[in-house]
Amino acid sequence: MPFDRWPRDIVDPQVNREKSQPIFSTDPAEFYYLGLNVPCQRACPAATNIPAYIRALFENHYNRSYEINRLSNILPGVLGRVCSRPCEDKCRHGETELGEPVGICQIKRAAADYKDPGHTYMTRLYAPLGKTVAIIGSGPAGLAAAHDLSSTGFKVVIYEAFNQPGGMLMYGIPEFRLPREILMHEIDGILRLGVDIRYGVKVGQDMALEDLLKDHDAVLVAAGCYASTRLGIPGEGLPGVHTGLDFMIRVTSGEPPKVGKKVLVLGAGFTAFDCARSALRLGAEDVSICLRRTEENLRVTGDEILETKSEGVRLESLLASRRMIGQAHVEGVEFTRTRLGTIGGDGRQQIIAIEGSEFVRPADTVIVAAGQRREPVKFLDDNHVEAETAAGDHAYVTSHPKLYVCGDYATGPSTVIEAIAGGRQAAGRIVEDLTGRKFREPVVRMEEAQVTDRQRVWDFIPRQAMPTVKPVGDRFETPQVEVELGYDAKTAHEEAKRCYLCYLHYEIDIDRCIYCRYCIDVAPRDCIKLVERIETNEMGAIVGYRETSHWQHVNAVVIDNSRCIRCGECLRVCPVNCITVTRIEQVERIRPTGGD
Amino acid sequence: MGARHLVVIGNGPAGKEAAAVLRDKEPESRITIISKDHEGQYRPNFLPDYISGRKSLEQLYATPFRFYQDQEIKLRLGQPVAVLDLEERRIILDHKEVIRFDGLVIAVGGRPRIPEPLLVFQDLMYTLKTVQDANSWIDRLASVDSVVIVGGDLTSFAITRALLQLGKRVGFVFSEEAFWPQRCNDQILRAAAAKLAARGVEVVPGRLKRIVRHSETRFEIMTDCRHLEAGLVGAFFGLVPDVRFLAGSGLQIERGILVDEYLNTGFEGVYAAGDCAQVYHPELRDYWVSIGYDNALRLGRIAASNLAGGREETTVPPESLFCDQGVRANTSWWLEF
Repeated sequence: MPFDRWPRDIVDPQVNREKSQPIFSTDPAEFYYLGLNVPCQRACPAATNIPAYIRALFENHYNRSYEINRLSNILPGVLGRVCSRPCEDKCRHGETELGEPVGICQIKRAAADYKDPGHTYMTRLYAPLGKTVAIIGSGPAGLAAAHDLSSTGFKVVIYEAFNQPGGMLMYGIPEFRLPREILMHEIDGILRLGVDIRYGVKVGQDMALEDLLKDHDAVLVAAGCYASTRLGIPGEGLPGVHTGLDFMIRVTSGEPPKVGKKVLVLGAGFTAFDCARSALRLGAEDVSICLRRTEENLRVTGDEILETKSEGVRLESLLASRRMIGQAHVEGVEFTRTRLGTIGGDGRQQIIAIEGSEFVRPADTVIVAAGQRREPVKFLDDNHVEAETAAGDHAYVTSHPKLYVCGDYATGPSTVIEAIAGGRQAAGRIVEDLTGRKFREPVVRMEEAQVTDRQRVWDFIPRQAMPTVKPVGDRFETPQVEVELGYDAKTAHEEAKRCYLCYLHYEIDIDRCIYCRYCIDVAPRDCIKLVERIETNEMGAIVGYRETSHWQHVNAVVIDNSRCIRCGECLRVCPVNCITVTRIEQVERIRPTGGD
Repeated sequence: MGARHLVVIGNGPAGKEAAAVLRDKEPESRITIISKDHEGQYRPNFLPDYISGRKSLEQLYATPFRFYQDQEIKLRLGQPVAVLDLEERRIILDHKEVIRFDGLVIAVGGRPRIPEPLLVFQDLMYTLKTVQDANSWIDRLASVDSVVIVGGDLTSFAITRALLQLGKRVGFVFSEEAFWPQRCNDQILRAAAAKLAARGVEVVPGRLKRIVRHSETRFEIMTDCRHLEAGLVGAFFGLVPDVRFLAGSGLQIERGILVDEYLNTGFEGVYAAGDCAQVYHPELRDYWVSIGYDNALRLGRIAASNLAGGREETTVPPESLFCDQGVRANTSWWLEF
């Protein structure tokens, strides 16, 4: 009988053995492996287990897919709509020659959309610890911290300056991108843990910070960045000139400012795009976003750019504003053309104004969306909260022993997912400082797996487009209507097929390998290597391979998991069944007694 | 050391001209043209006349294959570039083949632009860029007697003239998107509309809102002020540089590839020419994408000459500029209608 037709249990006596138990590790080498080989999870500030939730959705387990998300990022339905998607930038499917990244964010939204209407959140609750924490601000960072602290057994009270919760989610993002019932539903899922929230209280103004410190065991400042950055050019105070944040707060509060026919938005972030699209819904006819760099340098997602342009907003590149023109009201903006120089210290190309290129662009309304900064929460003696350090073990700590900071207040303007991750980490810091224990910790979970039912043909499925309200004119008839409609279940399933499931680790057992090279022949890219030597770092993690093409120097045939697309072809053709599959993923380990 | 390998991406007028100049300046170099198109170099400005029957298929093609053979220029047709790796100075083709280069001229031209708000109607509108597009127009015109043109670029006026010659009824939806990428003004619109109306074209000012297909040969076109019916809808919103494959390459890209007045991209030995190159023009106080067949030839020549060691500047002839909101632009083609 030919060797490749032998029954597998003859070739591999271990085929019929019982499934092994998972192993948990905190070895830095394992985390290093994950960073290299599961790029989406590493790119997510909240370390969301992306392959796991995509696989769960593929298996039609929507509730489970949603819960895998919620364990890490708390607000999946919200993030499925407004996340900046750092994971997609790193998705292996987006590497050169492999196509486009998986629609990770859209799948997250599908999990939220198709979970059971009566789905119950699963939150591990600890017994009350008898300690209280005050949180200033109910934005994504404050809410995430409240979730973790409350479920760990702390009494949490949030002090919110506005009359509704959500911070920037409620007041900075328009309803046509984030429906308020979705936001409130997920916020309610946090508040139901027993979190108290007091609205209309601006700490440092309506209430002394000292009083909070007296009444609570810790105070976490998650007050965001609500002071608008000005451009510092003449005419910025003219009527008709708005800051982006104030404009959005008025729009989302239901008291929008009047806008003229011609609107110029100066800025390049999500706020600038939200302002431009909101201006159209308020009746503007000609809206342009003026960029100092180019469209290619934008940090806004490609889908957002496309939708904004589809609605008729122009993107005008390589312009720097010099002054606002007008007497009693703004009438235009004087710009200079810019060119891009070498890469500066911030990692971005420098902007150089071209001399003699000044020109005026008329406008009835100008919106300056040039960024935000924090408004310091002050003590009675006018000192304000200073973070001691921005990174490392002591991140979130301040010069006051009971005072912590997180989110945009600590880091400056960031993204929703970064704020959530920061809020959770700050909560972990507070828990450890107040109890001396760790109730949650990230670990690497490893478990034997089988080759999946993924088919090679799925690698050629194109990225599924997000359906939107069309024709675009229909969007303006009901300005609050959500523009993105979400995948239908079939499309979500199709998109989920595209995920390579990089949490699967393929490995060749050298002791059993017969060097037949069948696996190399079927590999769709250079993922299986003949190596002379494996390079490791001081942690013992594999960092590279010294390849060879001379048989006499080959010491091993290895699968480079950073190149592997988990097609499973190698395993299917291996005549001696020497390739194993292990599921390796970062998860959060719950420690019932905080490690006692 | 072997001969330099000079690569031109694109086989339009700029690309072909660049290759010819390179051969002239560097007789010893290896020269390769890579084009995603399957057909030889044609003159896109002749396509409306081809549709009206005033030009034959043979007359469309500008450069016979014999030319490349004689000049020892390797022509690779139907091979799209997937990746440009400037660090390693190599090109990865769609079929994964790697081509190394010592010097490069990017002359990929443009593709028909559909404004983003109208993308949803893309499948209902005909564009005109390739010979294949022209053949589609000819097929469809055989069964319709009316056409609505939306937009207002160089080709729209030429195709309108061709359609009138064929005895078709023509409607023209004229909006501020005309003359893209420049902003249009009332004065220009009125003058252009008057010229069209004098030739019997029904001019409809306003924005296109919706297209409804009732059958293969009956479309309803709705603007913000009128409803029109026609058997075919043509979209003419200019060309947009076909540079999507260059995203992430390190080249600076706005509408096209940003180059200096010598058409250099900022990378040594890498130039751009034709409809895909964008250069700052001090007189216009704006970045400028040159359009038109003759301009493409001229830019191709300059890019190649500079790649071969020259130092020639590109300029825009001032007589072809007009003033729009304080910005002067070269969009005078409609005056010739």
